[in-house]
Amino acid sequence: MAPPAIEFRNVSKIYRRRLAGQEISALQDVSFEVLPGEVCAFLGPNGAGKTTSISMLMGFFYQNAGEIRVLGYEPGDVRAKQQVGFLPENFAFYKYLNAEKLLRFHMALSGIAVSTGGALIQDLLHKVQLEPYRQLKIAKYSRGMVQRLGIAQALISDPQLLVLDEPTSGLDPAGRKEVRDLISSLKSAGKTIFLSSHILSEVEQICDRVIIIDRGRLVRSGTTDELLGSGDRVEIVANQLSNELGLYLAERGAYIERNPHSVKIVVPSAQKRELAETLWNAGCDVISINPVRSSLEELFLKLVGGGEPS
Amino acid sequence: MKIRTIALNTLGSFLRDKLIILFCALFVCIVLLMMTPMLAMKAAATGENAAQMQTVVLGIVSAIMYFVSGFGSMLAAWAAADSVATEMKTGTILAVMARPVKRWEFLLGKFLGVMMLMSIYVLLMFGLSYLLAWMGGERIQSHPWVLLVYPLVRYAVFAAIAMLLVTVLHPVFSFAIVAILSVVALIVAPGQQVSNKFLAALKTTLYIILPSTTLLSEDRFLSITKASLTQTGWLEHVTTIAYGLDYAFVFLLLAMWSFHYRSLKRD
Repeated sequence: MAPPAIEFRNVSKIYRRRLAGQEISALQDVSFEVLPGEVCAFLGPNGAGKTTSISMLMGFFYQNAGEIRVLGYEPGDVRAKQQVGFLPENFAFYKYLNAEKLLRFHMALSGIAVSTGGALIQDLLHKVQLEPYRQLKIAKYSRGMVQRLGIAQALISDPQLLVLDEPTSGLDPAGRKEVRDLISSLKSAGKTIFLSSHILSEVEQICDRVIIIDRGRLVRSGTTDELLGSGDRVEIVANQLSNELGLYLAERGAYIERNPHSVKIVVPSAQKRELAETLWNAGCDVISINPVRSSLEELFLKLVGGGEPS
Repeated sequence: MKIRTIALNTLGSFLRDKLIILFCALFVCIVLLMMTPMLAMKAAATGENAAQMQTVVLGIVSAIMYFVSGFGSMLAAWAAADSVATEMKTGTILAVMARPVKRWEFLLGKFLGVMMLMSIYVLLMFGLSYLLAWMGGERIQSHPWVLLVYPLVRYAVFAAIAMLLVTVLHPVFSFAIVAILSVVALIVAPGQQVSNKFLAALKTTLYIILPSTTLLSEDRFLSITKASLTQTGWLEHVTTIAYGLDYAFVFLLLAMWSFHYRSLKRD
């Protein structure tokens, strides 16, 4: 069995302010794994320890306790970094370079022969739709363009593991969809993706695994199906519902929401057939029957007590 | 290849750095202002006062060269401190260090970028030395390599100290400390005797600890006067240059060690 792409084992991190004599615990005994080929969302409210965790994962910070492994190596090990692509939050750049020169710079740092990189650069810029702006100085780019360029630089060494800190930050809805599609295509290619995002509905669409931390502690981790449930309730949408029938359904444990043109009735899965037939028999037109899953947002708010995800 | 890439990128950023461009522009203005009285003196020289005027002219030329050389030390210190601090401040270091680059490679690349900048500066200083000597009506009596190698070694020492300091301090503090160290190194250089025993001991200790800018100064071997130049053997040259390089190397190693253990984050 292949080793986990990312492994945190009892990791703790304490920030020390020597002059003030303060100690702030940023992470406490955090353990989780991300398997190869998974798309994993790393969620938590502001100050939860996400950036600290990502920084330790990339070898920028050292942990005070515990062990971290990235593709089987210690964080910061050149052998691991050769296979990792990283997009920092608010990707910073050398303003005097253009997209092509920046990518060439990162290619050289990755040890890729710059002479053979022309086609690769063209392909990457095409992928992130920046080809027409390849000669424009990055200082003149919009935030969304900079973010797309950041994604291109993360992909430059064809990494096995992508660490993306807020990959859709600054992008418009169309740009966000492109990034989602790109992540899906990378997942299809067998890449492992570890991302943090504050747009939970997007995360829910693309992720296999979710890790939620709060105040430096791991509060939940598991596959999306494990965390959100596989549908123990169904939602029946009907065109109308009489008051008597409504009372009858409510007595059977149904939740009813009346809208101007339809009625939503959420019932336990075990009773869906019986209650749907009751509706039909009462002359109601059943428009749809769909399984109901908790949303990631609901779960997040339940676990972190309404803290803003970021 | 990685170190060269970082070094060339560092040089590129220096050549576009508005602060460095501004300081260099100010520096050129000051040099031009200093040259004005020199040219006026030279023009005013007559047959009777020629020798006296020539002495004044040579004094001005020496002052300009001293100023240019000193500015180079400060430029090296500032460029070294700023090159690392800017990467931290803007956060560009995060994308760079996410690449398969070791921390010492990054710092060495930065240091070599600073030395590339200082090499350009030394070449310009070299040209200016000959230009001033020609304008002053004299010729430089020194080996050209002395005028190139000695200042570079001195600047390497200043850059390495600044680079070490900036791994733990704000760049302005790092620069200020290097500036103070350079002044102290000048003060403690052997010369006037100090009567107080404690001060004498302190002076000697500081002279041993600090890199001697006097020893590493090309002025020791540079003469723009007609007086005969002190002959210096190869052994002394090699020893002095090795002394300077040793300082630079030790400080650079300390900077790499300190940088290895610091957290990399956007400041």
